[in-house]
Amino acid sequence: MASRLNTKHKAPFSYLVILAFFLGYMLLPILATYLFSVATRWDRTILPEGYTLEWYQTAFASSYFTITLRNSLIVSMASVLVSLLIVVPTVYWVRTRLPEAKPLLELLMILPFGIPSVVLALALVQIYNMPPIARSPYLLVSATVIFSMPFMYRAVSNAIEAIDANTLTEAAQSLGAGLGPILTRVIIPNIFPGILSGSLLVFATVFAEFTLAKLITGAGFKTFPLLLVEYTRKNGSVAAALSVISFTIAWVASMLILLVGRSGKSGRQEHAPTH
Amino acid sequence: MPKGRNLRRRKRWTAWLGIVPVLVFCFAIEIVPIMMMVRGSVIDSKGNFTLANYASLGIPLYVNSFINSIKLSSLSALIGTALGTLIGYVIYRWPLNRVREALITLSDVTTNFAGAPLAFAFIIILGSTGIVTQFFLQYLNIKIYPEFSVYSLWGLVLAYVYFQLPLMVLLIIPAFTGLRKEWFESAQNLGASSFQFWRRIGLPVLTPSLVSGLVLLFANAFGAYATAYTLTGSSLTLATIQIGFTVTGEVRHDPGIGLAMALISLLIMGSCIASYQWATRAARRWSSR
Amino acid sequence: MAYLELTDVSKSFANVAAVKNFSLAIEKGKLVSFLGPSGCGKTTTLRMIAGFEQPDSGTITLGGQDITVVPPNQRGIGMVFQAYALFPNMSVAENIAFGLKMKHTPKPEIEKQVDSVLELIRLSDTAKRFPHQLSGGQQQRIALARALAVQPQVLLLDEPLSALDAEVRLALRGEIRRIQSDLGITTIYVTHDQEEALSISDLVVVMNKGDIEQVGSPIDIYRKPQTRFVATFIGTANQFTGEMSGEHTVLCGQYQLNTRPPADRIASGSAVLVLVRPEAIQVEMEADPRPSVNAIPGMVETVTFHGAVTRLGVNVYGQRVVADVTETNTGVINLNQKVWLTFPPEVCQVMVQNE
Ligand SMILES: Nc1ncnc2c1ncn2[C@@H]1O[C@H](COP(=O)(O)OP(=O)(O)O)[C@@H](O)[C@H]1O
Ligand SMILES: [Mg+2]
Repeated sequence: MASRLNTKHKAPFSYLVILAFFLGYMLLPILATYLFSVATRWDRTILPEGYTLEWYQTAFASSYFTITLRNSLIVSMASVLVSLLIVVPTVYWVRTRLPEAKPLLELLMILPFGIPSVVLALALVQIYNMPPIARSPYLLVSATVIFSMPFMYRAVSNAIEAIDANTLTEAAQSLGAGLGPILTRVIIPNIFPGILSGSLLVFATVFAEFTLAKLITGAGFKTFPLLLVEYTRKNGSVAAALSVISFTIAWVASMLILLVGRSGKSGRQEHAPTH
Repeated sequence: MPKGRNLRRRKRWTAWLGIVPVLVFCFAIEIVPIMMMVRGSVIDSKGNFTLANYASLGIPLYVNSFINSIKLSSLSALIGTALGTLIGYVIYRWPLNRVREALITLSDVTTNFAGAPLAFAFIIILGSTGIVTQFFLQYLNIKIYPEFSVYSLWGLVLAYVYFQLPLMVLLIIPAFTGLRKEWFESAQNLGASSFQFWRRIGLPVLTPSLVSGLVLLFANAFGAYATAYTLTGSSLTLATIQIGFTVTGEVRHDPGIGLAMALISLLIMGSCIASYQWATRAARRWSSR
Repeated sequence: MAYLELTDVSKSFANVAAVKNFSLAIEKGKLVSFLGPSGCGKTTTLRMIAGFEQPDSGTITLGGQDITVVPPNQRGIGMVFQAYALFPNMSVAENIAFGLKMKHTPKPEIEKQVDSVLELIRLSDTAKRFPHQLSGGQQQRIALARALAVQPQVLLLDEPLSALDAEVRLALRGEIRRIQSDLGITTIYVTHDQEEALSISDLVVVMNKGDIEQVGSPIDIYRKPQTRFVATFIGTANQFTGEMSGEHTVLCGQYQLNTRPPADRIASGSAVLVLVRPEAIQVEMEADPRPSVNAIPGMVETVTFHGAVTRLGVNVYGQRVVADVTETNTGVINLNQKVWLTFPPEVCQVMVQNE
């Protein structure tokens, strides 16, 4: 940020007020949820009347807890896997062999942002209404991949733009390598930070996904966010505990993404001559 | 000679095979289903072309759900854009690097915090027994209920602004960064005041970014479902909620009407994304270095 | 029989003809330079030899075998890139071992070979380092070692030194030549730097706009340029226009020049161009008495000190002619002084003016 407009050394008071408002808005709902999840009772007072871990116990004890957690993990990991398999080779291919297809690819990766998930769910449920596929986890994963693929694409394509994929490919080819070794030994190791952060992003997005799961599989294959919504209508304290669990997963993913991003950068930074 | 030419053409042709998997996937799961849906919305049970489905959307339930969706999206997008730009500017001007980075990270995380947990968090703080409600009641002696309700349109606006605001912050900071110090300095050098700089150079340069932010936020809100579903149940009707009902069968709609609503939503959101693309391109035009 | 042979190779991109009917035969063990301005098709030609681009027409043979359509990873042609292209995720030793691994060479042999090429480039102590820990010059030497480790039949270098600073460039160019002749490896060296090409090569191919202008030894290219382009692109040349007045005499308005006999007879009366290098011109105070030596009068208009030589700009019947003089006779030359430019016929290259 070398070119920021005239930088002052101290922030004016008005800035502090604005920032305090922002922080309050952003943090209050989260803090309230955390506190609510350990509060005995909190509907008559400003602060909770007492603290307990009971709600977490209730949550863990629910038979649906493990099932939905497992289902969500399955859907998220399957989505990561499928979008990896689709995106990584395609991005590499388009970058090195078919640059003229890049606008088409970009368009495909923008398209999902223009489609409301309810609309896609409706379309899929209507077309794929024959038994093994209808409202199946497969259909759900396909839909979550459509919506999460753009995140994978961004991460992987940024990573591949950052290395000189064409020259590295040609160098490997001139040393006798075919497509397989080029991908596994040269390209993938060098874009790994991008692949990893794309995967984490897809994982976190799909894990928190409610709309598609609710509309495509629904009760047939209940995911964690569905359980959470159910509890908001049944037992708010347990819902808060489930919220906290789902935040925690999202936090961990976000922190990992940041960490990966930072290590990816520092690996390439120092290019200075050493003698 | 012809040998070489054929070979070259074959190579180009086979190169296109490399993107077949992604094309097949997108067609099978996204493009074809949507096209079938479009077709379904204008065809009656006997297979004849009809606009009857669109005509039946005229009843208040459907009209209101679109009006509510548009109100909610516009309000949350306008508030998000205005506050996000202000906050983005403050973050951009903040003297300490670490603080700036931390705030950007916070925005990154909170903008993805939507859906059921967000809705529920707003129930905790702004519900009829929520902590902010309690605070107003006990310390300021103000009853915010029943005039306000977290389950109302404005309640939803507050919840939506929660994820819109940080999104706008993330979109606008690069635009501020793109304002080059040299422009400000040469404007000053030519005798412009700070206000004149913003009026004549700063704002015009930022305009495409503001427009693209606004339409993206609108689309972001328009397509949202989970937050509204959790927060309002069926008390406030929105377009996405109504379409959801068609899918789950919770409320029996004529299936054609669901398709027609879906198509209209698709058009609204699609045009937002198209204008977003257009505006971002316009914004990038300034930043070519 | 030539080892590497390109016959009528052409390639165009969209509507740009990058390489036009390129034919060249290269003997085994030679170092050949492609020299030409940026955009003249050097890289494209090299990439067709390496197999990264397919010619639109023409054939390429290596050791008598047609390799025009062989994929790049099966050609056994090594390549060194301008931007090094070391694999950033691998150490120096792993980079060098890569090609051998692709050939499934047994491990002990790989180690031996890695050690030996590292020794060849005198960088044995860097084996465990990663590319980003090396200087540009070191990285380029590693890239060279990596290409050599698989013992390719041909080595291609595409402006390998242009990203480096002058001092490193000079040292490395000597190093490349030494290694090339030690190994006797057939090498093509692409550069736009004439000094580099002239100093390093057995044979120089001067290219312009996708065409070969001239192929020859560095000395021939410099002394006997066959086209105006070659004469002006390499070094500096004075151009005298005139018409052929005898077998090797050219009439240039007020004066006549005796030239080296042209390779092919040029008909009397043809419009021709006579090229003379500035350093071949002697600056004298009086006309040379020998009739065979060219002597034309002029007036000194500029004097520019260039270090080893001083360059004079001399007005000869309205035309600016430059002549380089060494220290010994600079002292007596002043601006506006009348001088005689004298030069023997052997330094006058005559060519038909066809543009
Ligand atoms: N991949 C390509 N696509 C389009 N034009 C190209 C491509 N590669 C080279 N060219 C064009 O072909 C001509 C020759 O380029 P190149 O072989 O790279 O020249 P050189 O290496 O001598 O500088 C140039 O006009 C260049 O613009
Ligand atoms: Mg080149």
